[in-house]
Amino acid sequence: MSVTASPSGAEQFGRFAIFLAERRLHVDGQPVALGSRAFDLLAALVARRDRVVPKDELIDVVWPGLVVEDNNLQVQVSALRKVLGAQAIATVPGRGYQFTVAAAARQPGTAPAPRAALPAGAAPPRASRLLVADDNKVNRLLLCRSLELMGHEVASVDNGRTALERLSSERFDLLLLDLEMPEIDGFGLLEQRAADPALRELPVIVTSSLEGVAQVARCIELGADDYLHKPVNPVLLKARVGSSLERKHLRDRERELIARLAPGLPDGLQIAGGAPEGRRTAATLLAVRLRDVDALAQAQSAHETLELLGNWSTLMLDAIESHGGRVMQLAGDAIGALFDAPDTALSALRTAREMLELAAQFNHERTSTGKLPIALGIGIASGEIVAGHAGTPRRASFVCVGAAVQRAAALAAEATQRGDKVLIDASTHAALADHLPSLAKSPDATVTATGAFSIFSER
Amino acid sequence: MNPAVIDPHTFDELQANAGADFVLELVDTFAEEAPRLLAELRSALAAGAADRFRRAAHSLKSNSNTFGATRLAAMARALELQGLPPDASGVDALAPEIDGTVAALQALARQ
Repeated sequence: MSVTASPSGAEQFGRFAIFLAERRLHVDGQPVALGSRAFDLLAALVARRDRVVPKDELIDVVWPGLVVEDNNLQVQVSALRKVLGAQAIATVPGRGYQFTVAAAARQPGTAPAPRAALPAGAAPPRASRLLVADDNKVNRLLLCRSLELMGHEVASVDNGRTALERLSSERFDLLLLDLEMPEIDGFGLLEQRAADPALRELPVIVTSSLEGVAQVARCIELGADDYLHKPVNPVLLKARVGSSLERKHLRDRERELIARLAPGLPDGLQIAGGAPEGRRTAATLLAVRLRDVDALAQAQSAHETLELLGNWSTLMLDAIESHGGRVMQLAGDAIGALFDAPDTALSALRTAREMLELAAQFNHERTSTGKLPIALGIGIASGEIVAGHAGTPRRASFVCVGAAVQRAAALAAEATQRGDKVLIDASTHAALADHLPSLAKSPDATVTATGAFSIFSER
Repeated sequence: MNPAVIDPHTFDELQANAGADFVLELVDTFAEEAPRLLAELRSALAAGAADRFRRAAHSLKSNSNTFGATRLAAMARALELQGLPPDASGVDALAPEIDGTVAALQALARQ
Protein backbone atom coordinates (compact mmCIF):
# COMPACT_ATOMS: atom_id res chain seq x y z
CA MET A 1 0.00 0.00 0.00
CA SER A 2 1.45 3.37 -0.95
CA VAL A 3 1.95 6.14 1.51
CA THR A 4 -0.43 9.05 1.19
CA ALA A 5 1.62 12.11 0.43
CA SER A 6 -0.87 14.64 1.71
CA PRO A 7 -0.84 15.01 5.48
CA SER A 8 -4.26 16.69 5.46
CA GLY A 9 -6.10 13.72 6.99
CA ALA A 10 -3.47 13.17 9.65
CA GLU A 11 -2.93 14.52 13.10
CA GLN A 12 0.76 15.30 13.36
CA PHE A 13 2.62 14.95 16.66
CA GLY A 14 6.34 15.43 16.39
CA ARG A 15 7.59 12.45 14.37
CA PHE A 16 4.19 10.76 14.37
CA ALA A 17 1.28 11.16 11.99
CA ILE A 18 -1.96 9.52 13.05
CA PHE A 19 -4.55 8.81 10.36
CA LEU A 20 -7.65 8.24 12.44
CA ALA A 21 -10.05 7.41 9.58
CA GLU A 22 -7.67 4.92 7.96
CA ARG A 23 -6.46 3.62 11.35
CA ARG A 24 -2.85 4.06 10.35
CA LEU A 25 0.20 5.42 12.10
CA HIS A 26 3.30 6.83 10.41
CA VAL A 27 6.57 7.40 12.20
CA ASP A 28 9.01 9.65 10.32
CA GLY A 29 6.79 9.29 7.25
CA GLN A 30 6.85 5.49 7.28
CA PRO A 31 3.81 3.34 8.09
CA VAL A 32 4.14 1.34 11.29
CA ALA A 33 2.26 -1.85 12.08
CA LEU A 34 0.02 -1.48 15.11
CA GLY A 35 -2.50 -3.90 16.56
CA SER A 36 -6.16 -2.98 16.50
CA ARG A 37 -6.43 -2.57 20.30
CA ALA A 38 -3.21 -0.58 20.40
CA PHE A 39 -4.58 1.76 17.73
CA ASP A 40 -7.86 2.17 19.66
CA LEU A 41 -5.84 2.99 22.76
CA LEU A 42 -3.71 5.50 20.87
CA ALA A 43 -6.79 7.19 19.40
CA ALA A 44 -8.39 7.35 22.86
CA LEU A 45 -5.27 8.88 24.45
CA VAL A 46 -4.82 11.38 21.63
CA ALA A 47 -8.45 12.48 21.84
CA ARG A 48 -8.04 13.05 25.59
CA ARG A 49 -4.51 14.43 25.52
CA ASP A 50 -5.49 17.50 27.56
CA ARG A 51 -5.74 15.36 30.70
CA VAL A 52 -4.69 12.23 32.52
CA VAL A 53 -7.06 9.44 31.46
CA PRO A 54 -8.02 6.92 34.17
CA LYS A 55 -7.30 3.28 33.37
CA ASP A 56 -10.98 2.33 33.73
CA GLU A 57 -11.97 4.91 31.17
CA LEU A 58 -9.40 3.61 28.68
CA ILE A 59 -10.50 0.03 29.24
CA ASP A 60 -14.11 1.07 28.58
CA VAL A 61 -13.09 2.65 25.29
CA VAL A 62 -10.72 -0.04 24.06
CA TRP A 63 -12.68 -3.06 25.28
CA PRO A 64 -16.27 -1.76 25.29
CA GLY A 65 -18.63 -3.94 27.27
CA LEU A 66 -15.91 -6.34 28.39
CA VAL A 67 -14.49 -6.95 31.82
CA VAL A 68 -10.76 -6.63 31.32
CA GLU A 69 -7.88 -6.64 33.77
CA ASP A 70 -5.49 -3.72 34.04
CA ASN A 71 -2.73 -5.95 32.80
CA ASN A 72 -4.20 -6.06 29.27
CA LEU A 73 -4.12 -2.29 29.17
CA GLN A 74 -0.54 -2.37 30.37
CA VAL A 75 0.42 -4.66 27.51
CA GLN A 76 -1.11 -2.28 24.95
CA VAL A 77 0.59 0.71 26.57
CA SER A 78 3.91 -1.12 26.34
CA ALA A 79 3.25 -1.91 22.68
CA LEU A 80 2.57 1.76 21.96
CA ARG A 81 5.67 2.88 23.85
CA LYS A 82 7.73 0.49 21.79
CA VAL A 83 6.62 2.34 18.66
CA LEU A 84 6.28 5.89 19.96
CA GLY A 85 9.06 5.98 22.53
CA ALA A 86 8.73 5.57 26.26
CA GLN A 87 8.14 9.25 26.92
CA ALA A 88 5.17 9.59 24.55
CA ILE A 89 2.80 8.15 27.12
CA ALA A 90 3.26 9.32 30.69
CA THR A 91 2.07 7.32 33.66
CA VAL A 92 0.65 9.34 36.53
CA PRO A 93 0.75 6.90 39.44
CA GLY A 94 -2.68 6.02 40.73
CA ARG A 95 -4.37 8.23 38.13
CA GLY A 96 -3.82 6.84 34.65
CA TYR A 97 -2.04 7.70 31.41
CA GLN A 98 -1.52 10.81 29.34
CA PHE A 99 -0.33 11.31 25.78
CA THR A 100 2.43 13.87 26.01
CA VAL A 101 3.67 14.64 22.51
CA ALA A 102 2.84 18.19 21.44
CA ALA A 103 0.93 18.55 18.19
CA ALA A 104 2.58 20.15 15.19
CA ALA A 105 1.26 23.50 13.91
CA ARG A 106 -2.01 22.99 12.10
CA GLN A 107 -3.55 24.12 8.85
CA PRO A 108 -6.15 26.85 9.26
CA GLY A 109 -9.64 25.40 9.52
CA THR A 110 -8.66 22.24 11.36
CA ALA A 111 -9.24 21.62 15.04
CA PRO A 112 -7.37 23.85 17.49
CA ALA A 113 -3.95 22.73 18.64
CA PRO A 114 -3.98 21.10 22.06
CA ARG A 115 -2.02 22.57 24.88
CA ALA A 116 1.19 20.90 25.98
CA ALA A 117 0.56 17.97 28.24
CA LEU A 118 1.14 17.25 31.90
CA PRO A 119 -0.46 18.87 34.91
CA ALA A 120 0.42 22.29 36.32
CA GLY A 121 -0.59 24.37 33.30
CA ALA A 122 -3.62 26.66 33.07
CA ALA A 123 -7.08 25.11 33.22
CA PRO A 124 -8.02 23.67 29.83
CA PRO A 125 -11.49 24.52 28.53
CA ARG A 126 -12.52 20.91 28.28
CA ALA A 127 -16.00 19.40 28.29
CA SER A 128 -16.92 18.31 31.78
CA ARG A 129 -19.29 15.51 32.75
CA LEU A 130 -22.25 16.73 34.76
CA LEU A 131 -25.05 14.82 36.43
CA VAL A 132 -28.49 16.40 36.86
CA ALA A 133 -30.76 14.89 39.53
CA ASP A 134 -34.32 16.23 39.37
CA ASP A 135 -37.62 14.36 39.50
CA ASN A 136 -39.49 17.07 37.60
CA LYS A 137 -39.27 16.31 33.91
CA VAL A 138 -39.65 19.89 32.68
CA ASN A 139 -36.97 21.15 35.05
CA ARG A 140 -34.68 18.25 34.21
CA LEU A 141 -34.92 18.74 30.45
CA LEU A 142 -34.38 22.47 30.73
CA LEU A 143 -31.39 22.18 33.02
CA CYS A 144 -29.77 19.52 30.81
CA ARG A 145 -30.36 21.68 27.76
CA SER A 146 -28.82 24.76 29.40
CA LEU A 147 -25.73 22.82 30.48
CA GLU A 148 -25.31 21.16 27.08
CA LEU A 149 -25.46 24.56 25.42
CA MET A 150 -22.50 25.53 27.64
CA GLY A 151 -20.55 22.67 26.07
CA HIS A 152 -20.80 20.10 28.85
CA GLU A 153 -21.62 16.44 28.65
CA VAL A 154 -24.76 15.87 30.74
CA ALA A 155 -26.48 12.80 32.17
CA SER A 156 -29.68 12.93 34.19
CA VAL A 157 -31.59 10.90 36.77
CA ASP A 158 -34.97 11.42 38.43
CA ASN A 159 -34.27 10.39 42.02
CA GLY A 160 -31.55 10.43 44.65
CA ARG A 161 -31.02 6.68 44.77
CA THR A 162 -30.25 6.41 41.05
CA ALA A 163 -28.03 9.48 41.39
CA LEU A 164 -25.92 7.72 44.05
CA GLU A 165 -25.70 4.59 41.88
CA ARG A 166 -24.46 6.57 38.88
CA LEU A 167 -22.00 8.54 41.02
CA SER A 168 -20.49 5.37 42.44
CA SER A 169 -19.96 3.76 39.04
CA GLU A 170 -19.08 6.69 36.76
CA ARG A 171 -16.85 9.71 36.86
CA PHE A 172 -18.60 13.08 37.07
CA ASP A 173 -17.18 16.55 37.60
CA LEU A 174 -20.27 18.18 39.08
CA LEU A 175 -23.72 17.28 40.41
CA LEU A 176 -26.74 19.56 40.04
CA LEU A 177 -29.15 18.46 42.69
CA ASP A 178 -32.83 19.09 43.25
CA LEU A 179 -34.05 18.83 46.84
CA GLU A 180 -37.57 17.44 46.43
CA MET A 181 -37.15 13.95 45.05
CA PRO A 182 -38.60 10.49 45.66
CA GLU A 183 -36.51 7.56 47.01
CA ILE A 184 -33.67 9.62 48.47
CA ASP A 185 -34.17 13.38 48.44
CA GLY A 186 -31.53 16.04 47.99
CA PHE A 187 -30.84 16.37 51.70
CA GLY A 188 -30.48 12.61 52.04
CA LEU A 189 -28.02 12.55 49.16
CA LEU A 190 -25.99 15.39 50.69
CA GLU A 191 -25.89 13.51 54.00
CA GLN A 192 -24.58 10.34 52.33
CA ARG A 193 -22.07 12.39 50.39
CA ALA A 194 -20.79 14.01 53.59
CA ALA A 195 -20.06 10.57 55.03
CA ASP A 196 -18.27 9.24 51.94
CA PRO A 197 -14.70 10.50 51.33
CA ALA A 198 -14.77 9.65 47.61
CA LEU A 199 -18.12 11.35 47.03
CA ARG A 200 -17.13 14.40 49.05
CA GLU A 201 -14.71 15.36 46.31
CA LEU A 202 -17.59 15.92 43.90
CA PRO A 203 -18.88 19.49 43.89
CA VAL A 204 -22.65 19.91 44.22
CA ILE A 205 -24.85 22.81 43.22
CA VAL A 206 -28.35 22.61 44.68
CA THR A 207 -31.15 23.88 42.47
CA SER A 208 -34.53 24.20 44.11
CA SER A 209 -37.66 26.30 44.32
CA LEU A 210 -38.12 25.52 47.99
CA GLU A 211 -38.67 28.78 49.79
CA GLY A 212 -36.90 30.05 52.87
CA VAL A 213 -33.34 30.70 53.98
CA ALA A 214 -33.33 27.69 56.33
CA GLN A 215 -33.23 25.23 53.39
CA VAL A 216 -30.33 27.07 51.76
CA ALA A 217 -28.42 27.15 55.03
CA ARG A 218 -28.98 23.44 55.59
CA CYS A 219 -27.62 22.60 52.13
CA ILE A 220 -24.51 24.68 52.67
CA GLU A 221 -24.00 23.08 56.10
CA LEU A 222 -24.23 19.69 54.46
CA GLY A 223 -21.41 20.65 52.12
CA ALA A 224 -23.13 21.88 48.95
CA ASP A 225 -20.95 24.34 47.04
CA ASP A 226 -23.76 26.56 45.94
CA TYR A 227 -27.52 27.07 45.82
CA LEU A 228 -29.54 28.33 42.87
CA HIS A 229 -33.22 29.17 43.07
CA LYS A 230 -35.52 27.89 40.37
CA PRO A 231 -36.30 28.95 37.78
CA VAL A 232 -32.55 29.02 37.36
CA ASN A 233 -31.17 32.18 35.82
CA PRO A 234 -28.96 31.03 32.92
CA VAL A 235 -26.30 33.68 33.49
CA LEU A 236 -25.96 32.75 37.16
CA LEU A 237 -26.02 29.05 36.27
CA LYS A 238 -23.12 29.48 33.86
CA ALA A 239 -21.08 31.48 36.39
CA ARG A 240 -21.65 29.07 39.28
CA VAL A 241 -21.05 25.94 37.19
CA GLY A 242 -17.88 27.47 35.75
CA SER A 243 -16.59 28.38 39.18
CA SER A 244 -17.33 24.95 40.71
CA LEU A 245 -15.70 23.14 37.80
CA GLU A 246 -12.62 25.30 37.95
CA ARG A 247 -12.18 24.49 41.63
CA LYS A 248 -12.73 20.79 40.88
CA HIS A 249 -10.12 20.80 38.13
CA LEU A 250 -7.64 22.62 40.34
CA ARG A 251 -8.14 19.99 43.06
CA ASP A 252 -7.70 17.22 40.47
CA ARG A 253 -4.42 18.72 39.33
CA GLU A 254 -3.30 19.17 42.92
CA ARG A 255 -3.97 15.49 43.52
CA GLU A 256 -2.04 14.50 40.38
CA LEU A 257 0.88 16.56 41.59
CA ILE A 258 0.76 14.99 45.04
CA ALA A 259 0.67 11.55 43.45
CA ARG A 260 3.72 12.47 41.40
CA LEU A 261 5.68 14.15 44.15
CA ALA A 262 4.72 12.14 47.23
CA PRO A 263 4.45 8.53 46.09
CA GLY A 264 2.60 6.16 48.37
CA LEU A 265 0.63 8.91 50.05
CA PRO A 266 -3.01 7.97 49.52
CA ASP A 267 -5.55 10.58 48.51
CA GLY A 268 -3.96 13.74 49.69
CA LEU A 269 -2.63 14.57 53.09
CA GLN A 270 -4.82 12.58 55.39
CA ILE A 271 -2.11 12.38 57.97
CA ALA A 272 -2.74 15.98 58.96
CA GLY A 273 -4.19 16.03 62.46
CA GLY A 274 -4.79 12.31 62.71
CA ALA A 275 -2.81 9.70 64.53
CA PRO A 276 -0.46 7.80 62.21
CA GLU A 277 -1.94 4.44 61.33
CA GLY A 278 0.95 2.06 61.17
CA ARG A 279 0.77 -1.65 60.61
CA ARG A 280 3.10 -4.58 60.79
CA THR A 281 2.90 -6.90 57.83
CA ALA A 282 4.67 -9.59 55.87
CA ALA A 283 5.87 -8.06 52.63
CA THR A 284 8.31 -8.24 49.77
CA LEU A 285 10.39 -5.21 48.98
CA LEU A 286 11.83 -4.44 45.57
CA ALA A 287 14.56 -1.88 45.00
CA VAL A 288 15.78 -0.93 41.55
CA ARG A 289 18.77 1.22 40.63
CA LEU A 290 20.19 2.62 37.45
CA ARG A 291 23.73 1.40 36.94
CA ASP A 292 26.51 3.89 36.22
CA VAL A 293 24.30 6.92 36.31
CA ASP A 294 27.44 9.07 36.64
CA ALA A 295 28.81 7.81 33.35
CA LEU A 296 25.46 8.44 31.67
CA ALA A 297 25.31 11.95 33.15
CA GLN A 298 28.78 12.79 31.85
CA ALA A 299 28.01 11.51 28.37
CA GLN A 300 25.01 13.75 27.86
CA SER A 301 23.55 17.15 28.74
CA ALA A 302 21.88 17.85 32.09
CA HIS A 303 18.56 18.15 30.29
CA GLU A 304 19.01 14.75 28.64
CA THR A 305 19.90 13.22 32.00
CA LEU A 306 16.76 14.54 33.65
CA GLU A 307 14.71 13.36 30.69
CA LEU A 308 16.31 9.95 30.97
CA LEU A 309 15.54 9.75 34.69
CA GLY A 310 11.95 10.80 34.01
CA ASN A 311 11.45 8.18 31.31
CA TRP A 312 13.14 5.51 33.35
CA SER A 313 10.97 6.27 36.39
CA THR A 314 7.85 6.17 34.24
CA LEU A 315 8.67 2.68 33.00
CA MET A 316 9.60 1.38 36.45
CA LEU A 317 6.45 2.80 38.07
CA ASP A 318 4.37 1.18 35.35
CA ALA A 319 5.89 -2.20 36.06
CA ILE A 320 5.38 -1.74 39.82
CA GLU A 321 1.77 -0.59 39.60
CA SER A 322 0.69 -3.15 37.04
CA HIS A 323 1.64 -5.89 39.51
CA GLY A 324 -0.06 -4.33 42.53
CA GLY A 325 3.04 -2.79 44.10
CA ARG A 326 3.20 0.53 45.89
CA VAL A 327 5.96 3.02 45.28
CA MET A 328 7.43 4.04 48.61
CA GLN A 329 10.54 5.85 47.51
CA LEU A 330 11.51 7.78 44.39
CA ALA A 331 15.03 9.11 44.44
CA GLY A 332 16.20 9.91 40.93
CA ASP A 333 18.22 6.83 40.06
CA ALA A 334 16.68 4.57 42.74
CA ILE A 335 13.11 3.44 43.32
CA GLY A 336 11.70 1.38 46.18
CA ALA A 337 8.44 -0.53 46.01
CA LEU A 338 6.36 -2.47 48.50
CA PHE A 339 4.32 -5.57 47.75
CA ASP A 340 2.01 -6.43 50.61
CA ALA A 341 -0.93 -8.12 48.90
CA PRO A 342 -1.06 -11.95 48.73
CA ASP A 343 1.73 -13.59 46.70
CA THR A 344 4.07 -10.73 47.48
CA ALA A 345 7.23 -12.49 46.29
CA LEU A 346 5.69 -13.64 43.02
CA SER A 347 4.36 -10.15 42.26
CA ALA A 348 7.77 -8.66 42.95
CA LEU A 349 9.45 -11.23 40.70
CA ARG A 350 7.02 -10.52 37.85
CA THR A 351 7.64 -6.82 38.35
CA ALA A 352 11.38 -7.36 38.08
CA ARG A 353 10.94 -9.37 34.90
CA GLU A 354 8.77 -6.65 33.38
CA MET A 355 11.28 -3.98 34.40
CA LEU A 356 13.97 -5.85 32.50
CA GLU A 357 11.72 -6.18 29.44
CA LEU A 358 10.79 -2.50 29.49
CA ALA A 359 14.44 -1.53 29.91
CA ALA A 360 15.34 -3.67 26.91
CA GLN A 361 12.70 -1.87 24.79
CA PHE A 362 13.94 1.45 26.08
CA ASN A 363 17.53 0.57 25.19
CA HIS A 364 16.46 -0.42 21.70
CA GLU A 365 15.16 3.14 21.23
CA ARG A 366 18.22 4.72 22.80
CA THR A 367 20.84 2.79 20.86
CA SER A 368 19.01 3.38 17.57
CA THR A 369 19.52 7.11 18.14
CA GLY A 370 23.15 6.71 19.18
CA LYS A 371 22.59 7.02 22.93
CA LEU A 372 24.14 4.86 25.63
CA PRO A 373 21.98 1.99 26.87
CA ILE A 374 20.93 1.83 30.51
CA ALA A 375 21.35 -1.10 32.90
CA LEU A 376 19.36 -1.97 35.99
CA GLY A 377 20.23 -3.62 39.24
CA ILE A 378 17.26 -5.02 41.15
CA GLY A 379 17.16 -6.29 44.72
CA ILE A 380 14.24 -8.23 46.20
CA ALA A 381 13.89 -9.12 49.88
CA SER A 382 11.03 -10.49 52.00
CA GLY A 383 10.24 -10.18 55.66
CA GLU A 384 8.14 -8.44 58.24
CA ILE A 385 8.00 -4.67 57.97
CA VAL A 386 6.16 -1.74 59.52
CA ALA A 387 4.41 0.50 56.99
CA GLY A 388 2.43 3.67 57.44
CA HIS A 389 2.50 7.41 57.22
CA ALA A 390 4.89 9.44 59.27
CA GLY A 391 5.82 13.03 59.42
CA THR A 392 4.39 16.32 60.61
CA PRO A 393 1.07 17.76 59.53
CA ARG A 394 2.96 19.97 57.07
CA ARG A 395 5.19 17.37 55.56
CA ALA A 396 4.24 13.73 55.49
CA SER A 397 5.47 10.68 53.70
CA PHE A 398 4.77 7.01 53.38
CA VAL A 399 7.40 5.10 55.30
CA CYS A 400 8.34 1.49 55.44
CA VAL A 401 10.91 0.14 57.86
CA GLY A 402 12.34 -3.27 58.55
CA ALA A 403 15.39 -5.37 57.85
CA ALA A 404 13.93 -6.47 54.49
CA VAL A 405 13.73 -2.84 53.32
CA GLN A 406 17.42 -2.33 53.93
CA ARG A 407 18.24 -5.74 52.48
CA ALA A 408 16.41 -4.97 49.22
CA ALA A 409 18.27 -1.66 48.87
CA ALA A 410 21.61 -3.31 49.64
CA LEU A 411 20.94 -6.10 47.12
CA ALA A 412 20.05 -3.55 44.41
CA ALA A 413 23.32 -1.74 45.13
CA GLU A 414 25.24 -5.02 45.09
CA ALA A 415 23.57 -6.03 41.82
CA THR A 416 24.55 -2.78 40.13
CA GLN A 417 28.15 -3.25 41.29
CA ARG A 418 28.46 -6.93 40.42
CA GLY A 419 26.59 -6.69 37.14
CA ASP A 420 23.76 -8.99 38.22
CA LYS A 421 20.30 -8.23 36.94
CA VAL A 422 18.27 -9.38 39.92
CA LEU A 423 19.43 -10.47 43.35
CA ILE A 424 16.91 -12.04 45.70
CA ASP A 425 17.38 -12.86 49.36
CA ALA A 426 16.99 -16.32 50.85
CA SER A 427 13.43 -15.70 52.17
CA THR A 428 12.25 -14.62 48.72
CA HIS A 429 14.05 -17.56 47.13
CA ALA A 430 12.27 -19.94 49.47
CA ALA A 431 8.88 -18.33 48.84
CA LEU A 432 9.41 -18.66 45.09
CA ALA A 433 10.67 -22.22 45.10
CA ASP A 434 7.76 -23.52 43.00
CA HIS A 435 7.84 -20.71 40.48
CA LEU A 436 11.49 -19.95 39.85
CA PRO A 437 12.22 -22.74 37.37
CA SER A 438 9.43 -21.59 35.04
CA LEU A 439 9.80 -17.86 35.55
CA ALA A 440 13.45 -17.10 35.87
CA LYS A 441 16.60 -17.89 33.98
CA SER A 442 19.35 -19.51 36.01
CA PRO A 443 17.22 -19.70 39.15
CA ASP A 444 19.92 -21.19 41.30
CA ALA A 445 22.86 -19.18 40.05
CA THR A 446 25.67 -17.88 42.19
CA VAL A 447 25.04 -17.38 45.80
CA THR A 448 26.70 -14.10 46.68
CA ALA A 449 28.73 -13.35 49.78
CA THR A 450 25.57 -12.05 51.46
CA GLY A 451 23.66 -15.27 50.73
CA ALA A 452 21.59 -13.85 47.88
CA PHE A 453 20.61 -15.62 44.65
CA SER A 454 21.20 -14.12 41.25
CA ILE A 455 18.33 -14.70 38.82
CA PHE A 456 17.62 -13.61 35.23
CA SER A 457 21.36 -13.52 34.87
CA GLU A 458 22.97 -14.25 31.48
CA ARG A 459 26.15 -15.50 33.08
CA MET B 1 -62.74 32.32 32.48
CA ASN B 2 -60.02 34.93 32.38
CA PRO B 3 -57.32 34.40 29.75
CA ALA B 4 -54.18 32.77 31.10
CA VAL B 5 -51.48 35.11 32.30
CA ILE B 6 -48.03 34.52 30.79
CA ASP B 7 -45.22 36.95 31.53
CA PRO B 8 -43.88 37.69 28.03
CA HIS B 9 -40.47 38.69 29.31
CA THR B 10 -39.88 35.36 31.06
CA PHE B 11 -41.12 33.38 28.06
CA ASP B 12 -38.98 35.36 25.59
CA GLU B 13 -35.89 34.87 27.75
CA LEU B 14 -36.56 31.16 27.93
CA GLN B 15 -36.74 30.97 24.13
CA ALA B 16 -33.62 33.08 23.74
CA ASN B 17 -31.63 30.95 26.18
CA ALA B 18 -32.81 27.45 25.31
CA GLY B 19 -33.88 27.88 21.67
CA ALA B 20 -37.43 28.16 20.31
CA ASP B 21 -37.55 24.56 19.04
CA PHE B 22 -36.51 23.24 22.40
CA VAL B 23 -39.07 25.40 24.22
CA LEU B 24 -41.79 23.94 21.98
CA GLU B 25 -40.77 20.46 23.16
CA LEU B 26 -40.65 21.68 26.73
CA VAL B 27 -44.18 23.11 26.49
CA ASP B 28 -45.40 19.77 25.11
CA THR B 29 -43.75 18.02 28.05
CA PHE B 30 -45.50 20.40 30.43
CA ALA B 31 -48.80 19.68 28.62
CA GLU B 32 -48.31 16.01 29.55
CA GLU B 33 -46.96 16.58 33.05
CA ALA B 34 -49.42 19.21 34.34
CA PRO B 35 -52.54 16.98 34.18
CA ARG B 36 -50.52 14.26 35.91
CA LEU B 37 -49.64 16.67 38.71
CA LEU B 38 -53.30 17.70 38.99
CA ALA B 39 -54.28 14.04 39.32
CA GLU B 40 -51.61 13.62 42.00
CA LEU B 41 -53.02 16.60 43.92
CA ARG B 42 -56.52 15.07 43.82
CA SER B 43 -55.28 11.65 44.87
CA ALA B 44 -53.11 13.06 47.69
CA LEU B 45 -56.02 15.14 48.94
CA ALA B 46 -58.34 12.11 48.93
CA ALA B 47 -55.72 10.07 50.81
CA GLY B 48 -54.98 12.88 53.25
CA ALA B 49 -51.29 12.71 52.26
CA ALA B 50 -50.08 16.21 53.10
CA ASP B 51 -46.49 15.72 51.93
CA ARG B 52 -47.46 14.28 48.55
CA PHE B 53 -49.93 17.12 48.14
CA ARG B 54 -47.28 19.74 48.94
CA ARG B 55 -44.76 18.20 46.58
CA ALA B 56 -47.15 18.05 43.65
CA ALA B 57 -48.15 21.67 44.23
CA HIS B 58 -44.46 22.56 44.50
CA SER B 59 -43.68 20.93 41.15
CA LEU B 60 -46.57 22.68 39.44
CA LYS B 61 -45.43 26.02 40.88
CA SER B 62 -41.87 25.43 39.79
CA ASN B 63 -42.84 24.58 36.19
CA SER B 64 -45.27 27.48 35.95
CA ASN B 65 -42.53 29.87 37.03
CA THR B 66 -40.22 28.45 34.37
CA PHE B 67 -42.66 29.45 31.62
CA GLY B 68 -43.73 32.75 33.20
CA ALA B 69 -47.23 31.42 33.91
CA THR B 70 -47.58 33.76 36.86
CA ARG B 71 -51.20 33.22 37.86
CA LEU B 72 -50.99 29.42 37.74
CA ALA B 73 -47.76 29.67 39.74
CA ALA B 74 -49.45 31.81 42.38
CA MET B 75 -52.36 29.36 42.69
CA ALA B 76 -50.00 26.40 42.99
CA ARG B 77 -47.87 28.23 45.52
CA ALA B 78 -50.90 28.94 47.70
CA LEU B 79 -51.68 25.20 47.71
CA GLU B 80 -48.05 24.34 48.45
CA LEU B 81 -47.82 26.62 51.46
CA GLN B 82 -51.28 26.29 53.03
CA GLY B 83 -51.13 22.60 53.90
CA LEU B 84 -53.83 20.06 53.11
CA PRO B 85 -56.99 22.07 52.27
CA PRO B 86 -60.38 21.27 53.86
CA ASP B 87 -62.02 20.72 50.47
CA ALA B 88 -61.20 20.29 46.79
CA SER B 89 -62.24 23.76 45.68
CA GLY B 90 -58.66 25.06 45.30
CA VAL B 91 -57.66 21.99 43.31
CA ASP B 92 -60.77 22.16 41.15
CA ALA B 93 -59.96 25.77 40.31
CA LEU B 94 -56.58 24.66 38.96
CA ALA B 95 -58.03 22.51 36.19
CA PRO B 96 -59.29 25.29 33.88
CA GLU B 97 -56.21 27.39 34.72
CA ILE B 98 -53.92 24.55 33.61
CA ASP B 99 -55.89 24.07 30.38
CA GLY B 100 -55.80 27.78 29.61
CA THR B 101 -52.09 28.04 30.41
CA VAL B 102 -51.13 25.07 28.28
CA ALA B 103 -53.15 26.43 25.35
CA ALA B 104 -51.59 29.87 25.72
CA LEU B 105 -48.06 28.46 25.99
CA GLN B 106 -48.54 26.24 22.94
CA ALA B 107 -49.79 29.21 20.95
CA LEU B 108 -46.82 31.34 22.07
CA ALA B 109 -44.31 28.60 21.40
CA ARG B 110 -45.58 28.08 17.84
CA GLN B 111 -45.54 31.77 16.93
